[in-house]
Amino acid sequence: MATPDTVTTDTPVLTDNDRLRGINDDYTERYGFHDAENYLYKAPKGLTAELVAKISEFKSEPQWMRDFRLKAYEYFLARPMPTWGSPMLADVDFDDIHYFVRASERAERSWDDVPEDVKKTFDRLGIPEAERKFLSGVGAQYESEVVYHQVHEDLEKQGVIFLDMDSALRDHEELVREYFATIIPANDNKLASLNSAVWSGGSFVYVPPGVHVDMPLQAYFRINTESMGQFERTLIIADEGSYVHYVEGCTAPTYSSSSLHSAVVELIAKPGARIRYTTVQNWSTNVFNLVTKRAVAETDATVEWVDCNLGSKLTMKYPSVYLMGERAHGEILSIAFAGKDQHQDAGGKIIHAAPNTTSNIFAKSISKDGGRGSYRGLLEIAKGAHGSRSKVVCDALLLDEDSRSDTYPTIRISEDDVNVGHEATVSKVGDDQLFYLMSHGISEEEASKLIVNGFIEPITKELPMEYAVEMNRLIELQMEGSIG
Amino acid sequence: MPQLIDVCPLNELPPGGKRLVEWDDLEIGVFNCAGTVYAIEDRCSHDEGPLIEGSFDADACTVECPRHGSLFDLTSGKPKTLPAYVPVDTFPVIIENDTIKLEVE
Repeated sequence: MATPDTVTTDTPVLTDNDRLRGINDDYTERYGFHDAENYLYKAPKGLTAELVAKISEFKSEPQWMRDFRLKAYEYFLARPMPTWGSPMLADVDFDDIHYFVRASERAERSWDDVPEDVKKTFDRLGIPEAERKFLSGVGAQYESEVVYHQVHEDLEKQGVIFLDMDSALRDHEELVREYFATIIPANDNKLASLNSAVWSGGSFVYVPPGVHVDMPLQAYFRINTESMGQFERTLIIADEGSYVHYVEGCTAPTYSSSSLHSAVVELIAKPGARIRYTTVQNWSTNVFNLVTKRAVAETDATVEWVDCNLGSKLTMKYPSVYLMGERAHGEILSIAFAGKDQHQDAGGKIIHAAPNTTSNIFAKSISKDGGRGSYRGLLEIAKGAHGSRSKVVCDALLLDEDSRSDTYPTIRISEDDVNVGHEATVSKVGDDQLFYLMSHGISEEEASKLIVNGFIEPITKELPMEYAVEMNRLIELQMEGSIG
Repeated sequence: MPQLIDVCPLNELPPGGKRLVEWDDLEIGVFNCAGTVYAIEDRCSHDEGPLIEGSFDADACTVECPRHGSLFDLTSGKPKTLPAYVPVDTFPVIIENDTIKLEVE
């Protein structure tokens, strides 16, 4: 093979450290703003049983939900904080959080009816525009509650229910009660207990048998006030043979004090159904993001989690799929960017509980500027789940010597007739890769961007186009160095 | 070869009552659900939590594992909620001469 021509350039060659800037360099300008607080109600900091009861009263909930919340609060108090995951957990101060903030009376169906300052925020974030262009339905949550909700009329006529969770509890109580907390019970873990006590907002989706919702349903979550806790609760039920793609995004202002986001998401895919759940998490770097997400896939059903974590100070999130029916399939695609002072502790869990089930976990993490990315996963194949096949691939890219990557995979197999593969790589942007690209006239910065884009392409190609474009834009911003 | 073991007189386990029985290396939880007595292995199939220490709903005939909240149907041993997904063993209960007895292997 001929030796490539020597590349000459007037631009100074970048070192590893100054090649790349911190994550979301323009975050403050794009998302880090906050509105003046014109709230109907803002709870004082701290959590008590009285506040839990008050939240339930505000929402005029049935007695069983109020009892559920109060029991969950007891579980929350009784359980200690986990000692695994991240030392940053010790910095969470539950007494320094506002647990409920009400910005408006109800979820409106027209943007014109949303309070003006809140509407302006969502305009600035591009939500109404996205709705017009490519979504089947939108829910927009501001602080503790959903302020706007709309779903295409033709979907409603087919029996699709897409509501904020508070409205769903009011209008479809029996349906909600049948499934609520059956996937993630109130005592599952400390943060799920907290969510169960103070949950507010989030989405409820029910798709009737055979209905395919072709364009995504989207929810967008926005925190505004300082030291805020947001605890949305989402429940999606895809009935037999149906399909739905749900996409959620989130941002928050940049404050020096911490905020807490602890969501609970439960998915049920009935026989032959398919649910895809996409998250583009872009919280500001003062947010603790501690989430429990779990799905059940019944016979011939499929659940796919596409989980992109860009923001937050600390994320601990391991979407999981329980493959409960024969030939069910689970897929977890995860990207995590960990920049300066960030820890992305992400991954996924798949439990094969029935024969001939299949799964893939595909996790990519990028660490830079001293950030820490971790993959934490569980692959379990239960006795009786013969004929199951699974592949786990976790790749880490370290962009400088200060950054860190850890992998904590757990594999438990209780059946002989299965096929399981696990691969893991850790790499850096190779000098030979850069040299090869630069020898074709590409600048060092562009070459770095191409390599990182190529690294995560298997996952970004699964995003709806508009989100893939946004992800690529965010990646490019991260990759911009101090040229000239 | 199954054998019968005594638990206690029926009047010592009224409706809503529960009791732990140890036999061999097994721990068995015995529950009186509104007049009918059921027995299950006292070990959650998810993470081996002690079911007898969980919340017992005699009307619904369920017990909740105190470790991670899985709800078990005492009539069948089947979990009604995750994270448990494997049923726990059940033991036939016989009332003989006003005494609660269990059939064990």
